[in-house]
Amino acid sequence: MGVVSSEPASRDFRWSMPRVWWTRRAHYFWYIVREFTSLPLALWLLWFLVEIRRAHDGPSGYHPHGSLGFVIFSVIVLLFALYHSVTFLTLAGAILHFNVADRPIPSQLIVLSQFALWAAASVVVGFVLIYLGRT
Amino acid sequence: MKEHTRKPALLHLFWWFMFAQGGVLAAILLPVHILVQGILGPLGIVPVVDRHYDTWVNVLGNPLVKLYLLVLIAFPFFHFAHRLRYLLVDLGVPAARGVPAQVFFYGGAVAVSLVTIYILLTTVPISFT
Repeated sequence: MGVVSSEPASRDFRWSMPRVWWTRRAHYFWYIVREFTSLPLALWLLWFLVEIRRAHDGPSGYHPHGSLGFVIFSVIVLLFALYHSVTFLTLAGAILHFNVADRPIPSQLIVLSQFALWAAASVVVGFVLIYLGRT
Repeated sequence: MKEHTRKPALLHLFWWFMFAQGGVLAAILLPVHILVQGILGPLGIVPVVDRHYDTWVNVLGNPLVKLYLLVLIAFPFFHFAHRLRYLLVDLGVPAARGVPAQVFFYGGAVAVSLVTIYILLTTVPISFT
């Protein structure tokens, strides 16, 4: 005589996040925005690659982008770029750990150094791009 | 008795290195390029190197500039590839975890790097002047 179990047969439980989970809290939303910044930045870099290739067409065929639409696109991409920079460089305080004379450098100082590096690089690159543009 | 030795995950190290360096380079260098070459130059507020053929070609011939542009363009794409793949995972696209997605995203970064090298080497010849 067989034993009949009163327990229901076990089933796999697959939990899944709702697709709109990132709209439920501002913190989640800005996390997704941070990840999304890659897309506009990638598109802008692809444009930049096209701008480089256009030099292949010779002086008569070279027409750099200058439309209002392109400027608006660049303004939008710049906002995403700044958000990427601020969030990524701020993380440096949590990722990088250095000791000086057996004492850890405060994370705020590490973050500050990253922002200082960003400012210095921006000034140098901006100056070079403009200086070399003089005809 | 068989001993288990741990091998260093060199491939893993490589992809994380490219991801991290791409993120740093995009954070530090891209905003100023977008501001100057995407906004100030096209609006005519400042002279910018890529607004005129002569100045642009002179700069593009320099090998150090070619190297700089390769780093500026190629590295961030490895960062973008990783972030965009995990963006899809976070948004509930399970296929983004699979091998085809990895090939698409990281292979795309490799493809962009190769195209960048090709464009930099063939658009303007290397010049040391």
